Amino acid sequence: MNTVSVYIHIPFCKKKCNYCDFVSFADKEELIDGYVEALKHEITSIPQQLKIKTIFFGGGTPSLLAPKQLEKILSHFESRITYPEISIECNPGTVNLQKLKDFHKLGINRLSIGAQSFNDRELKTLGRIHTAKEIHETVENARKAGFKNVGLDLIFALPNQTLESWKETVRKAVELEPEHLSTYNLQIEEGTPFWKMTNDKPCLTAGRFQMSNNNFQLPDEETEACMYEFAIDYLKAKGYKHYEISNFSKPGYECKHNIVYWKNGDYIGIGVNAASHINNSRHENPNNFEEYFLMANQQSKGLAGKLASRPARDEISETIMMNLRLLDGLSKKEFKERFGKDIEELYKKEIDELEKDNLIENTKTHLKLSRKGLFLANLIFEKFVD
Amino acid sequence: MLKWSVDNIRNFSIIAHIDHGKSTLADRLLEFTGTIEKRQMREQILDTMDLERERGITIKAQAIRMEYQGYILNLIDTPGHVDFSYEVSRSLAACEGALLLVDASQGIEAQTLANAYLAINSNLKIIPIINKIDLPNAEPEKVLTEIKNVFGIEKSEVILASAKEGVGIKEILEAIIERIPPPKGSAKDPLKALIFDSHYDIYRGVVAYLRIMSGTLNSGSKILMMGNQNEYEVLETGILRLGLIPKKELFAGEVGYLISGVRNVRECRVGDTVTEARNPAAEPLPGYKPIKPMVFCGFYPVNTGDFEHLKDALEKLQLNDAALTFETESSAALGFGFRCGFLGLLHLEIVQERLEREYGIDLVATAPSVIYKIIKKGGGELLIDNPSSFPNPSIIEVIEEPFLKLSVFTPSEYVGKIMELTIDKRGIFKGVEYFDPTRVMATFEMPLSEMISEYHDLLKSVSRGYASMDYEFIGYVPSDLVKLDILLNSEPVDALAVIVHREKAYYRGKMLVEKLKEEIPRHQFEIPIQASIGSKAIARETKPALRKNVLQKCYGGDITRKRKLLEKQKEGKKRMKRIGSVDVPQEAFMAVLKLGK
Repeated sequence: MNTVSVYIHIPFCKKKCNYCDFVSFADKEELIDGYVEALKHEITSIPQQLKIKTIFFGGGTPSLLAPKQLEKILSHFESRITYPEISIECNPGTVNLQKLKDFHKLGINRLSIGAQSFNDRELKTLGRIHTAKEIHETVENARKAGFKNVGLDLIFALPNQTLESWKETVRKAVELEPEHLSTYNLQIEEGTPFWKMTNDKPCLTAGRFQMSNNNFQLPDEETEACMYEFAIDYLKAKGYKHYEISNFSKPGYECKHNIVYWKNGDYIGIGVNAASHINNSRHENPNNFEEYFLMANQQSKGLAGKLASRPARDEISETIMMNLRLLDGLSKKEFKERFGKDIEELYKKEIDELEKDNLIENTKTHLKLSRKGLFLANLIFEKFVD
Repeated sequence: MLKWSVDNIRNFSIIAHIDHGKSTLADRLLEFTGTIEKRQMREQILDTMDLERERGITIKAQAIRMEYQGYILNLIDTPGHVDFSYEVSRSLAACEGALLLVDASQGIEAQTLANAYLAINSNLKIIPIINKIDLPNAEPEKVLTEIKNVFGIEKSEVILASAKEGVGIKEILEAIIERIPPPKGSAKDPLKALIFDSHYDIYRGVVAYLRIMSGTLNSGSKILMMGNQNEYEVLETGILRLGLIPKKELFAGEVGYLISGVRNVRECRVGDTVTEARNPAAEPLPGYKPIKPMVFCGFYPVNTGDFEHLKDALEKLQLNDAALTFETESSAALGFGFRCGFLGLLHLEIVQERLEREYGIDLVATAPSVIYKIIKKGGGELLIDNPSSFPNPSIIEVIEEPFLKLSVFTPSEYVGKIMELTIDKRGIFKGVEYFDPTRVMATFEMPLSEMISEYHDLLKSVSRGYASMDYEFIGYVPSDLVKLDILLNSEPVDALAVIVHREKAYYRGKMLVEKLKEEIPRHQFEIPIQASIGSKAIARETKPALRKNVLQKCYGGDITRKRKLLEKQKEGKKRMKRIGSVDVPQEAFMAVLKLGK
């Protein structure tokens, strides 16, 4: 039987963070009940023959929802979920012990905590609504509530962050013994408050900006590389497996849901702006409530009607790009099974060049990033797009 | 229909500094005489190329015949840039008079002066006009005094006008008829016709624009081009309205066109004399000289596959541009391309822009160079138009470079800064002349090579846009020049080499490597960038290796967007030229030229 992963987008936040470019709204909590109803409509439309492999509540801030609201959503899957991985993203500023206990009772078995930093000044710069102490409490409460799979998200290359303060954040995160860690470098995305601050005054030198009359400087490329390098080496020494460019886990605790993305497998996204990928086709839901509600209420026609087929070439490029993100790399066998051709037949010249430049390792069974390639992955991905 | 008589013909040009309103005045004259109806009118009607309209300059000369109160008025438009001064002189030679147009707020400028002298030397009757008197900052009184001081023309002779508002147009037309003499020359003498322009028509071949100086040009007769001694049959003659209007005969004094099956503008040179093959004139008209390109650069396609396409495009442009030359050259760094010759920097830029815009070719242009004359030890001479063919210094006795006489016209307050700038560009100060207490003309001699490295932009910037200039080639002068090599990743890049004065080599080398460091993106390896003379390194910078370039976050909703981002990055790299293993952006090649000060 075919399996599918389900992503559920919760586009509500107490407050928008300065770096966030996800579709989410800070002043629309009154819409949540209606939104839950719309999600239920969408869930109904998921073809019955598909078995649900994983569920991921992302945001926004899904932990902002009351356990009752989450229950309404999950119960709508009825008997279609048999012990899958069910994750929820969680902002430490939105949960207490009782809430986490309730989450656990609903069958949610993986917490992805948005810690971002263990330095209160940095948390403030990012516009987070919590302190480092609250991260500690949240992890403690999660354990008390029975969670055996807890992940922490961290961000590096923050304004005014030094290599030393990043090391401190990583060490403190590891002290909490999470099963999973994600480390991302800060990207200043268009439309975010950070983007405004860094781009509004072009007279300032690169990476320099002002916020509430304080001066900030983004770390340079060299520092950023050292930060990433530190995370890789330190986490490995502490028993974490580096399994994706930005992800580390204790053995067996890799995020199954995300691996579906990285294998460019099948998933259905429900909710505002959520993306789906099924049978080599992609679809994205509307990014505003008005259109979304309209669409969700017409779900009777099912997913099939809204999927756009795409050139096979794009599907191949994306599959390679995503699989190479995994440290195990791209399985040549899986590639051939999926596309009917050897990858080396399609990209001989590119692969030879990358190998010569020490950017990839080409083994009998796999194609994977080298250590150098991890830092320069875009140069590699670039070769496989048109 | 008016009765034809040579006494009823007036041939004239409009001469002006750039932007003083020449094209607008032409538009108004055409409108006022009913040559063009209002509804057909668009701005700068004589500037037919898009580039001409955009840049507000005339590149090709044009001519048009107007009829007004029983007179035939032939307007011969002239190109408005110093690169094309030879064309200006030929257009003027086809006239008996010239409207000298001066902007009421700007006053006399360098090209006003240069063009006016050309006209005076050709014995043209000058009709001075002060244009743009409607502008709030117009100072007609001041300009009247200036014209009196500079040209000795009485204030009463000057017409005040605003071409934009249509003021003074009638007075101008009357002055053309009254003051400009009719053409001389008898229709019975042997034929002498001056070619002042030509254009290539894909259906009919070359259309030559000419002025009959004496004799009669008959449709169907055999003619001789006196410059190249080629004979042709006259297929069609006629006069120039908004289009070509056939007319069987053109008589002495008339302006018109000639189609004779010539397939290439090169065989129909501006300045050449057309005569009758059976009864040729004894002497050609004076002043013909073959056009020689002064500035050279290499054009290379970014995609090597575009070579044939580029060749084809150059050939097409050349059909209509007698001054453009090109020949195949190969560069170790850039592959196959063309060494092209131009009249000047503007001409170069126009050709480059047309290749990119009209033919869609991504180009790398190497830094412009002039022709250096190298006198070898023990005799013999080499002409070098490409720094990469600079010989081993041990065989060189003397190097000579082309020099210009440069005239800069400026408000007197900027003279100090202009002298500083020009002397820094190896100019030799020759003198300064006051036209009135506030306006001066400074003259210099200076190397052409310095002129083509953004002298004009710098002149404008030190004088806040007020100074104007004009120059003419005066000859070759010995200079202490060296070849400056640029090495990327320890490999010399022939396309980046420049010939510079020895005293400036260190500074240029240092600026160059700094600029290249800025322009060249980080690669996955470190790139040393060096400047050297011979084997001696004089400047060095290092572009650090790319340390980190990775999309750190990529989940289900990001995939297509991220792929497109990568595609865009890849596209950007394709627009760069790969030299060895280094991707060099097109801008880097131009950076060699634009180093500021």
